[in-house]
Amino acid sequence: MSKKMYWLFFLWIITAFLTSCSEKRQPAIPEDISFAATVNIKDMTISFVDLEKKELAADWAMEKPYTGALILPDNDSILLYGKQLETADLYSLKEGKLIDSWETGEGIVNGILLETNEIAFADQHLNKIRFFHLNGEEEKQVESEIDPLTLLESGEENKLFVLSFNHEKLGIIDLASKEKSGEFTIHPSAAGAWLNKRNGEIWIGGHGEGLDIEQNIHVYDEETGKLKKKIPAASMPINFLGQGNQVYVLSHGSNMLYKINESGEVAASVSIAANPFEMAFAADKLLVAGYDSNDLHVLEPENLKTLKSIKVGEGPFKIVIRESVK
Amino acid sequence: MKFLTNSLAKKMWLTVTAAIIITILYSYFLSYLFYEKIYVENVRDSLLTEGRSLASEYQGGALTEDLRGKIEWYNSKSETEIFIVSNPRELSACLPFEIDYQTLIGKAEREELLKGNPVEKLGYEKRFDRKIMGVIMPLLDDNRLQGIIYLYVPLAKISEITRDFAYLWLAAAAVFTVISIILGTMLVKKLTKPLLDMKDAAEHVSKGYYDIHLNIDSKDEIGQLANAFNYMSSSIRKEDEKKRDFLANVSHELRTPISYVKGYSEALISGMEKSEEERQKYLQLILRESRRMERLVGDLLDLSKLESDEYKLEKMPLPLAQLIEDAIEKYKPILREKNVDLQYRLDPEVIINGDEGRIEQVIQNIMDNSIRYTAEGRISIRLSQERDQCLIEIEDTGIGISEEHLSKIKQRFYRVNKGRTRSDGGTGLGLAIAEKLVKLHQGELTVFSELNKGTKVRIMLPLLEIK
Repeated sequence: MSKKMYWLFFLWIITAFLTSCSEKRQPAIPEDISFAATVNIKDMTISFVDLEKKELAADWAMEKPYTGALILPDNDSILLYGKQLETADLYSLKEGKLIDSWETGEGIVNGILLETNEIAFADQHLNKIRFFHLNGEEEKQVESEIDPLTLLESGEENKLFVLSFNHEKLGIIDLASKEKSGEFTIHPSAAGAWLNKRNGEIWIGGHGEGLDIEQNIHVYDEETGKLKKKIPAASMPINFLGQGNQVYVLSHGSNMLYKINESGEVAASVSIAANPFEMAFAADKLLVAGYDSNDLHVLEPENLKTLKSIKVGEGPFKIVIRESVK
Repeated sequence: MKFLTNSLAKKMWLTVTAAIIITILYSYFLSYLFYEKIYVENVRDSLLTEGRSLASEYQGGALTEDLRGKIEWYNSKSETEIFIVSNPRELSACLPFEIDYQTLIGKAEREELLKGNPVEKLGYEKRFDRKIMGVIMPLLDDNRLQGIIYLYVPLAKISEITRDFAYLWLAAAAVFTVISIILGTMLVKKLTKPLLDMKDAAEHVSKGYYDIHLNIDSKDEIGQLANAFNYMSSSIRKEDEKKRDFLANVSHELRTPISYVKGYSEALISGMEKSEEERQKYLQLILRESRRMERLVGDLLDLSKLESDEYKLEKMPLPLAQLIEDAIEKYKPILREKNVDLQYRLDPEVIINGDEGRIEQVIQNIMDNSIRYTAEGRISIRLSQERDQCLIEIEDTGIGISEEHLSKIKQRFYRVNKGRTRSDGGTGLGLAIAEKLVKLHQGELTVFSELNKGTKVRIMLPLLEIK
């Protein structure tokens, strides 16, 4: 081997060594599987559950405390964010590696993908709702009440409802103009909401204030903001998942899942998981993540019967779904 | 500070006191820590036992009123504060939402409880606004934390008990400190008193009073020092006495010839002599006394030279028989005159390594004495070989010396008969010089004598080593 060759070989080894250090690769997630991914905040992992096989497909051990995620419309990019993080990081699923970082600054607590293929982030440091294009470019910031948390999009009305967590306010942003179009007062520690379109109502849950535990869903008039009624859903209803004219309500204080119709009657209920915070629909199944039980429950949406429970990482806090089109 | 460190006693006292106080404080804190630790552990163990027993009442599912009632009843009967909590808010169930509420348990504690482990609390709890020792028992239904049983004892109760202990301890420590300091002071005094005594004694000695004697019984270093001091002071005293005696002797020995010289010369000057014959006699006397003084001064010079370190012998191989024979040759006329018989038996083989002049001086000095104190009879000289030594014996049949004087005979100016003058012509230094010279030749001089029978002087000298 000539000296030049020797040096080239040496450089190649060094380069390979350095790249392996700097760019940590995660297990690749094949394009052709449908999965539910849970963002686990206690052990800083992301668990991918194959929806067809109903088993854990892969675990990503992350180095940053991500609290939420979004699957972008390309069905391969997963955008991870967290309140303590300076950036929102974009990973490619099939490659299992970081492809982009968006300089968001700290404070991002929630994000949704709008029907307009834009992303809305709730920023509790700036107390603003921030709109981003899919390429990571920030489009606009809109002032919100202090501590925005829950974001609820009304596609038909082109509105974005923003619930302030600690300041008893619901703000409405017009998505066309991206301007604040109104607000009304709600109950404290509000979390989770559902738009009951037929009745022109917005249903809002919460944790309760101080020692009081929230036992009810507060039903407000969508237009006037007037409290119309309370629907009992003990205790701490904090997640809503609407399907047609009914809604699934998850109460983490009592580990209860309710199926409630639009008039407020409980059609079914089940005790599920331990301290569940998050649920999602995927492949006609209802998924509920137990924050303390570290599992993902797959339920029959009709009768709320558990089909399977799958162990995931510790502290699943957010579920995102990718349904493969292939 | 200088006031405290200007004496050994104070320094020792400070050291002892500091050591006592440090030991007491150290042992106090150590035992206090152990006591508290044991007590707190005891309380914790009993809280854990109590908690486990209460938690075993929980049968799963939501907390029942019955269970709450039981816990409340137990709380009313027990000294421990006990309560049951099922509010998920208190149990930090909403934690990821960062609810602005001071929960009863924190994130890490919740995780521990979810694993089924009890959580221990020790210290200030904001919720109770006091220091507590507490135990939290989880009430788990599968993996759901349905509630907790919180048991605690205010730390005030524990510290009350340790305070009693501390008071007792402090009282005992104070008594102990006082006693130890008193004993320590006494000990320090006892230890330093001999030193003070020695200091005083040294001052006494430096003023010229050598009659001091320290009475110190201890056998330790201080006792040894005191003995050495006593020995030193008695040596100085003896040396001083010797010096005084010597001076007194010298002046006494000189006074007699001086008074002769003075008296006769005065008589000559004032013309008191009656005839030429008498004048000659006076002059003879003055001359004799002058010679005596000369001899005396010469002997004193010799002695002081011999005692100084720089005195060097000019050694050479000496056939001793020849030397002795030559030395006694000059005594023969006087012996004949005194009618004293001289006998000698000399071994001609004896050769020593010595200074010819000095050895001759030794023989002469001894011979002078023998002749001086032997009126009639005989003087015999023997020279013989004994192993690696030679033996010179000079024996006379003179007046002899009584036993009480025999031991002091070699001292300078020592006189058996104090009243006797030096009319016999001796200086009183002959034997002392002879002994010194023999010692310088690594030999030994011994005097044996019996009153009215005679005296025998024995000299042992090492023979010349032929290599």
